[in-house]
Amino acid sequence: MLRNRFGNRPGALPCVLAIWLLLHLVPSLIAQTAGMGVLTGRIVDSSGNPVANATVTVTSVDNGQARSATTGTDGSYRFDDLPLGSYRMKLEAAGFQTLEIPSAIVDGTKPLVVDEKLQAGAPTTIKPALEQQDNFPNAPSSSTAPSLSDLGLTPEQTQGNPREQALLDKRTHMLKIHQRLGLITTIPLIVTVATSLNAGGKSTGTASRDLHTALGGVTGDLYFMTAYYAIRAPRVPGTQTRGPIRFHKVMAWIHGPGMIATPILGIMAFDQKNKGEKVHGIAQAHSPVAIVTAGAFGAALLSVSVKF
Amino acid sequence: MNKKILIVLLLVTLPTFAADSQWTLKQSTLTYHVSHPLHESEGVSHAARGKGVCHDGQCDFLIAVAVKSFDSGDSNRDLHMVQVTRGAEFPIVTVRTRLPESTAASATINADLEIQFAGRTALYGKVHFRVETQGGETHITGTIPATLTDFKIDPPSLLTMPVKNDIPVRVDMTWRLQ
Repeated sequence: MLRNRFGNRPGALPCVLAIWLLLHLVPSLIAQTAGMGVLTGRIVDSSGNPVANATVTVTSVDNGQARSATTGTDGSYRFDDLPLGSYRMKLEAAGFQTLEIPSAIVDGTKPLVVDEKLQAGAPTTIKPALEQQDNFPNAPSSSTAPSLSDLGLTPEQTQGNPREQALLDKRTHMLKIHQRLGLITTIPLIVTVATSLNAGGKSTGTASRDLHTALGGVTGDLYFMTAYYAIRAPRVPGTQTRGPIRFHKVMAWIHGPGMIATPILGIMAFDQKNKGEKVHGIAQAHSPVAIVTAGAFGAALLSVSVKF
Repeated sequence: MNKKILIVLLLVTLPTFAADSQWTLKQSTLTYHVSHPLHESEGVSHAARGKGVCHDGQCDFLIAVAVKSFDSGDSNRDLHMVQVTRGAEFPIVTVRTRLPESTAASATINADLEIQFAGRTALYGKVHFRVETQGGETHITGTIPATLTDFKIDPPSLLTMPVKNDIPVRVDMTWRLQ
């Protein structure tokens, strides 16, 4: 047949075979030498029909880099040039349960073939193994397997403490509210600082001063609500404060008193301005104290939000 | 006659010489990695304890580590981690696996792991580890591809943004055969 197609030319068949070998072997050899591998497979439903448009995502366990592919009409997918290593796979398709495969090893020696069956439904399932799943789970035998006591762990160390868990739950709940209120407080705080430009100085109008005062009141109220949830959050015995939270707490010792002093000084300055006087005496400290307070508040917020 | 007695004695005592061997975890570093849109963080524990008991060519391993022993350098984050993983209620993470005795001589291991954490059990198939044996000690390194959903843990959030689901755990252990 081949001989007929290529005529009776001697050497045509070996030529075709050589080209075929080159086309099929060279890419895999290149992939091996470059530390790359291939992951391919086919996804079908429980009846064995191909699942088209399913999304296959592979995430490198080593560096977290992810790649996605979509299955064709025959349910097949393919990842070329994958760096060698272990991958976590996720198979998703509309109307099917998402399937997660914790570990698929692309070793480059041959394409890794992962053929899977998706079940109709919604919840996610975690598949225990990729290849040779019939060997899994390779559970330890109960007769010889070591126990926690063999490791020298006492019952006190291994038993749970529901009271401590409840304490931690309450603490997290209160600190979550503290965090959200703190974020909300930032908005009127910024606007209050911004409106201070028109409220003081040589301005004689009262409208901008009233607005600044009202915003300051809102900021103060929100601030003290925020502080309440941090102060009332339960302490966990035996915990030593370490890391950015230390700076966060130090800043609280600046913006806390500042938030008390700023409105007092502000009221004094407000009265003086309303009387047509120039702001004088201790009331002059209103503006610098407010700026330091707002700065300390911002630094406290950033210290637990962004890694420096 | 004496020869026969000697052979019988040898046969009787032979199983004693072929008794079970044990592996002990000498040193370990377990590091979890958490990704958040604003920053990445890692928690490290050197407090894992482990033992492997070999019998009939198979070794059963148990590794246990206290949830509270992970240190990210931030006490607030560590307390939050213990809370979300229900570490006070389920204080110990355990990893169980069974491996053929011969794998100690291999350069790599593909281990099936059963991990108990946060009151749930997850199975990880064929997790890849590198093995180096030197001077009677076996050094094992690898990464367990753990995720929060594997253990039904609600992702903690910072500034209303949740952390990513993947929490790979790097494993670096030194075992000694006794």
